[in-house]
Amino acid sequence: MPYKLLKVDKEIPEREKHVYVKHCSDPEDQIPNCNTKTIPGSMSERGCAFAGVKGVITGAIKDVIHVVHSPIGCTSYGYGTKRYPTSPDLPNGEKFPIDNFNLKYILGTDLQESDVVFGGMKKLRQSIIEAHKEFPEANAIYAYSTCTTGLIGDDMDAVAKELTEELGTKVVAFNAPGFCGPSQSKGHHVGNLTLFNNLVGTKEPIETTPYDVNLIGEYNIDGDLWVIKEYLDEMGINLLSKFTGDCSHDEICWMHRAKLSLVRCQRSATYIADLIEEKYGVPYIKVDFFSTKYCAENLRTIGKYFGLEKEAEKVIEDRMKIVGPELEFYKSKLQGKRVFIFSGGPKSYHLSKPLEDELGMETVAVASQFEHKDGFEKMKSRVNDGTLIMDDPNSLEFEEIIEEYKPDLILAGVKEKYLAIKLGVPCLLIHSYENGPYMGFEGFVNLAKDMYSNIYSPVWDLLEFEDHVEEFGAEGVKIESGTNSEESDGIKEPKNRGEA
Amino acid sequence: MSCINVMEKERNVIINPLKTCQPFGAMFAVTGINKGFPIVHGSQGCSTFVRYGFARHFREPSEIAVTSLHEDAAVFGGRNNLVKGIENLAVRFKPDLIGVITTCSSEIIGDDVFGFADTARENIKKRMGEDSKKIEVIPINTPSFVETHYKGYDNAIKAVVNHLARKNEPNDKVNIIPGIVNPGDVRELKHLIDMMGLEGIFLTDISDPFDAPLRPSKTTMKPFYPKGGVSVDDIRDSANSLGTVSICKYAGSGAKSLEKEHNVPAAINSPPIGIQNTDQFLRELKKFTGNDIPDKLLDERGILIDSMADNASRYLFGRKVAIYGDPDITTGIARFVGELGMEPTMVCTGVKGPEFAKDMEKIAKETGSNIDVMVGQDLRAVEVYLKENPVDIMIGNSDGRLIALDLGIPLIRVGFPVYDRVGYQRQPILGYNGGLYLMDLITNTILEKYYEPTHWKLQQ
Repeated sequence: MPYKLLKVDKEIPEREKHVYVKHCSDPEDQIPNCNTKTIPGSMSERGCAFAGVKGVITGAIKDVIHVVHSPIGCTSYGYGTKRYPTSPDLPNGEKFPIDNFNLKYILGTDLQESDVVFGGMKKLRQSIIEAHKEFPEANAIYAYSTCTTGLIGDDMDAVAKELTEELGTKVVAFNAPGFCGPSQSKGHHVGNLTLFNNLVGTKEPIETTPYDVNLIGEYNIDGDLWVIKEYLDEMGINLLSKFTGDCSHDEICWMHRAKLSLVRCQRSATYIADLIEEKYGVPYIKVDFFSTKYCAENLRTIGKYFGLEKEAEKVIEDRMKIVGPELEFYKSKLQGKRVFIFSGGPKSYHLSKPLEDELGMETVAVASQFEHKDGFEKMKSRVNDGTLIMDDPNSLEFEEIIEEYKPDLILAGVKEKYLAIKLGVPCLLIHSYENGPYMGFEGFVNLAKDMYSNIYSPVWDLLEFEDHVEEFGAEGVKIESGTNSEESDGIKEPKNRGEA
Repeated sequence: MSCINVMEKERNVIINPLKTCQPFGAMFAVTGINKGFPIVHGSQGCSTFVRYGFARHFREPSEIAVTSLHEDAAVFGGRNNLVKGIENLAVRFKPDLIGVITTCSSEIIGDDVFGFADTARENIKKRMGEDSKKIEVIPINTPSFVETHYKGYDNAIKAVVNHLARKNEPNDKVNIIPGIVNPGDVRELKHLIDMMGLEGIFLTDISDPFDAPLRPSKTTMKPFYPKGGVSVDDIRDSANSLGTVSICKYAGSGAKSLEKEHNVPAAINSPPIGIQNTDQFLRELKKFTGNDIPDKLLDERGILIDSMADNASRYLFGRKVAIYGDPDITTGIARFVGELGMEPTMVCTGVKGPEFAKDMEKIAKETGSNIDVMVGQDLRAVEVYLKENPVDIMIGNSDGRLIALDLGIPLIRVGFPVYDRVGYQRQPILGYNGGLYLMDLITNTILEKYYEPTHWKLQQ
């Protein structure tokens, strides 16, 4: 049986279908059950649809006002949650006057009981008008529905349409109340559709070149996008629109004018690439810039598309000269280390193979909170036999996997990180990063360095007072004593932990 | 003449809130119970955002379950989700207590959480038999569109006490309701109580759950529960204590309820931040127990006083301070900076409460300064105000860090959340020791910002 009922799931046997162990003789379409409702009370790590829109898609746009139509909680929690920096540069050459506007402010309607009883549309209207007055420099206003707005039935679109005319500034309503869809993934979908329906095709770019691309599904976490932008700049490719890292409102409006779309996060943003292709005939390719091999491969593909093969080779060569030797060092240290990748979506398949091929690690388990069928197929195609593939793991499963698979390192988010540490396993932030960017050639070195420093941190040798271990014996978690430290290439090394 | 000028929010729109919703406070409170498990009856985001917030601030895991309401629940009600959710949690995690926390959605669709909890209790009994007996299932009403996280905290404490407290033999203990404070603060309170020769029952105690040691487990027992937190038995015993001190003015319902139902006298006060408030706290303890304040504690007080005498007038006197955050913490800090000779020129809180302005009026009189008191306001209001009315130093949470950066005013981080520095959740600001820490922090920040590094004034 390829599906596996974990011991901790015996009370919720429906979880069996979500946990799959890869076996080469299984039919190809056999994957974990996914994109279904979460089991109540199971301690899932998922978020809501509102988090999917504001937290992932639109929150990275730098020159718009975000108004959350909610009781205070959703607004408070929408503030500064994701690390997507922006530059003040706008496409027309001007600078947006407020630095990191997208990270600095969140606005909300602070719905009260009376609004819930009598409807919140009046308050939404007033709030948007006031928001416009408070930040006249903003180029658009985005308003978000939440569970409350969805339940009381406020017509956000009507308010947005009316105010767009009244204020002379585009107001867009995003209708993804928290309860819609099985996870935050539904919010990504709604975000894509809303931006496409309301904005794409409504403006023309200031200037165009034969090398215009949309970079889609890249949110500039810790500056990832700026790394990619540099490569594309050097190749002579123009980022006409970004979706949505370091992006301005206008860029979304002229996405239809690109010659090609590059889709980076294929879970959260393929929707809009499809729509643009369908309506405007702009083709897209799925790209992958994690690791040196994928990065080189994809730059070559892009180069080929535009006849810029030589330029692509130069970018690759320049970078590899620098990062190649550094990665060799990390490979020598990370060889054989077992890793469990628990990402939101595609990072599980972006990273599983590169960690094995380029750093010699062993991917023992991959998981995703909200990935769909296509993503799990990709995950399956990239991992070895015997690897655990999971949909929507919950925290007890997380504990069992640690016990059974004994990973040396976990790549996950901040909610899981501290639980992993409590269980004695280093855990690296992969949703936002520890010391990113992690993308591109230099980014892969950053990732390797962070993995190295987490696994080799001396703390893991110090977990228990040594006399105490000798006296009582350490059952359960096995503590291995460190070997002598050694010097290599001027890098002082901490003790080796669990060297196989 | 000293006076206060109360400024209420004039806009409808809220910009960078200084408050959050009721369920947050309830999740915080339930986390402080040993093997206590909060389950939020709402959408995934209701638990995810709070877990995220706790993880960022405390750098600790926080296990909060959710009933995962989806479209079908929005239409047909969330009965199945809640009953199943409680059941799954009970049989898989075997907690001692499950706090069932409502949200905007479950309140709007009108779910009968009390009825559903009864059904869940029955089901657990069928499935677990005897083991189910120890699991307390306590519904807590926390509609997010009413008041703030403080109300949610208050409701949770009240619900837990009302449900569990039982009159029995007197226990010679004192109950403490600490409010929304840090692990370091609770540990300082324990220290004060210990010095007074007393034992406390904390309603509830987040000190260990939110600052748990990392030690290799000697068993393979699952799931992970942090050590510490108040035990369910201790909460039951709270009806037999000598008195209840709530150091959170906005969460006194539990204390009042214990007074009314079980004749446990209540004192509801500002938190012991600074000299006079800590004195007052110890006075309450003395009143309830008859125990004297020991010499060692007076020495601790003396060390703080000594340090104030050494430094306050030289470096801090007359410096203007802006304070923002939760109402209890801000009033406490305003009084303390007044004691240090500084001027709390602006104090802002996102919560509305009649007590707040009254407290500030008292502090204005004591300090002889004019205080602009911003009630029910947001961080944008702080920003706009400070552009016009600069101060020497800001005290508040990390959400104000970009404002501080833009205005060039140093920020002392206190309250919740603090996510851009480490260790702040571990340091107390309560008690004489907390005062010492806070004063040193303020003084060193002033030295760093306002004194030339090579100047002779920096030397004795």
